[in-house]
Amino acid sequence: MSVSKLPASLGRGRPRRRTSLAARVGLPLSVAALLVFTLFPVYWMVSTALDPKALTRGSDLLPSGISFEHFDFVFDRGNFGQYLLNSAIVGLATILAAGLLSLFAAIAVARFKFKFRTSVLIMILIVQMVPLEALVIPLFIQMRDYEMLNSLLGLSIVYIALSLPFAIWTLRGFVAAVPKEVEEAAYIDGASWFRMFWSVLLPLVAPGLVATSIFAFITAWNEFVFAYTFMKGSDKYTAAVGIFQFFGENTTSWGPVMASSTLVTVPVMLFFVVVHRRLGSGLAAGAVKG
Amino acid sequence: MLVSDGSKDGSSGSSSLRSHRSDDGDAARRRKRLTTLTRPWLLLAPALVVLIGLLLWPLIQVGKLSLQDYVVKFGGGKGTYTGFDNYKELLTGELLWKTVLPNTVFFAFACVGLTVALGTAVALLLNRLGPTWKLICSVSILAAWAMPAVTGTYVWIWLFSPEDGMVSQLADSLGLIDAETTNWFTERLPFYAIATINVVHHGFPFVAITVLAGLLTIPKELYEAGEIDGANAWQRFWKITVPTIKPVFLVVTILSTIWDFKVFTQVFLMPGGSGSNPDVYNLGVYSYIEAFAKNDYGAGAAAAVLLTLLLLAITVVYIRTLFRQGEEDL
Repeated sequence: MSVSKLPASLGRGRPRRRTSLAARVGLPLSVAALLVFTLFPVYWMVSTALDPKALTRGSDLLPSGISFEHFDFVFDRGNFGQYLLNSAIVGLATILAAGLLSLFAAIAVARFKFKFRTSVLIMILIVQMVPLEALVIPLFIQMRDYEMLNSLLGLSIVYIALSLPFAIWTLRGFVAAVPKEVEEAAYIDGASWFRMFWSVLLPLVAPGLVATSIFAFITAWNEFVFAYTFMKGSDKYTAAVGIFQFFGENTTSWGPVMASSTLVTVPVMLFFVVVHRRLGSGLAAGAVKG
Repeated sequence: MLVSDGSKDGSSGSSSLRSHRSDDGDAARRRKRLTTLTRPWLLLAPALVVLIGLLLWPLIQVGKLSLQDYVVKFGGGKGTYTGFDNYKELLTGELLWKTVLPNTVFFAFACVGLTVALGTAVALLLNRLGPTWKLICSVSILAAWAMPAVTGTYVWIWLFSPEDGMVSQLADSLGLIDAETTNWFTERLPFYAIATINVVHHGFPFVAITVLAGLLTIPKELYEAGEIDGANAWQRFWKITVPTIKPVFLVVTILSTIWDFKVFTQVFLMPGGSGSNPDVYNLGVYSYIEAFAKNDYGAGAAAAVLLTLLLLAITVVYIRTLFRQGEEDL
């Protein structure tokens, strides 16, 4: 914990009074260690994907050359374009449905006092912790009986359910943060409830909606267990499962595995970087305000 | 159940409204009362239907399944109740007590401890950096966070892969191992050490960002007062930071505990994790393999119920913490 030994006088916006040796060395070292730990796996994935000689890569830090042959391979031979499309479809369906349903539910629990409100909140918290492995068995049997296995719709429905508890919990914080007075002012001006919802509440909770949509999309995009268990036709794989096919029994061709991994990871990362401010406030509203 | 009650109230409300149109004030008041009563339930109904249908109902089903011997037949399956046979088999098996439970519990505690410690350290670091470096570090944390569990796991496997993995070759060149013969993934301890690095890498950004949000709410005056009283940084951390944002620490710890007890993908995808090496089973993987690889859905369900009960116990603590934290907020 070298970090906490630094004098607090280094804190933001305050004049530096004394800079101890530990601070001058410790701070840059901590930053360097953090950057290596967080970014090196990402770098290694991308550079292996680009290295034409990925299999004999070994411990060379730099790729032996830059080529897109592994990417061509996963698209031409691995049908990866189809898997990315499947993931996008499932992700969009999840965003739309989970966003709408969780916003309604969040308004209900944040704005109205009603009987069993606490019970509903507790139920939401409890289902949030239910392990996927417990659900995958009965849902597999149910989906099989309704012939919904191997269907993008069936998978989307599962993802909507999976992302709802966290989405409701996060949005609840946002709705509660909108001052009641703003709503009351709208009523006094003669607005109906739906008018108030559309022109007052919705714009104010939009950042929260963005945050929950991101989480819903990422839940669907990254999920492995259900997609792996439910989708058995090779044209119905999602991208996260599609990587699996490049995994060999004995030897793995790391070039295609890392190329397809890059294709799954990079969109999510760009997404995160673009919206990271809203993501932070979304988490703060959900987790800190409880 | 509750939902349909609510909507029934709603429809009877509007019909009674029509018949009492003459008495304007009374009708308006009654209408207002009924809408306040039904509106929250109407808003909740769609979400509750999905949650009950796809999370709660399957959870009940898995309980039922765990008491059955479930045989798959063409076009469906058939369950025969066998009482607590599945549990008896699970709880008397050596595998559960010697392998599966220790793997699950020790792995979860190691992950939670390291995730929270590293996340907190990084939050304190971010809080001390200037705007440029803070942005650079935040983006790098986001990168680790955004990396999907699946691809993150593949990268760590690749790094530690026998013979050609980078870490294996580095350790070989330092004379620590023989890369030709060492396979990190065949033994429990190195297997779970790699899984721990993977889970911590993926999980600490959430802790860092949440704790940082908490740190920003602590008034600076507290630290200045502490400094005047001669408290060093270590003392200020334990005497000011920790007590002031204790709720934040509790929430991130309990959430991490819940997540790390049910780690599945990271273990399942690692070499041997999908069933060929029983030494590395955790409860989630064990349940999945019993159900889907051995076609013994009842036994898998019993293990799933055991995992759920473990998590339920942790969740009770979580909920009590949240309630104590902001009674008026709930």
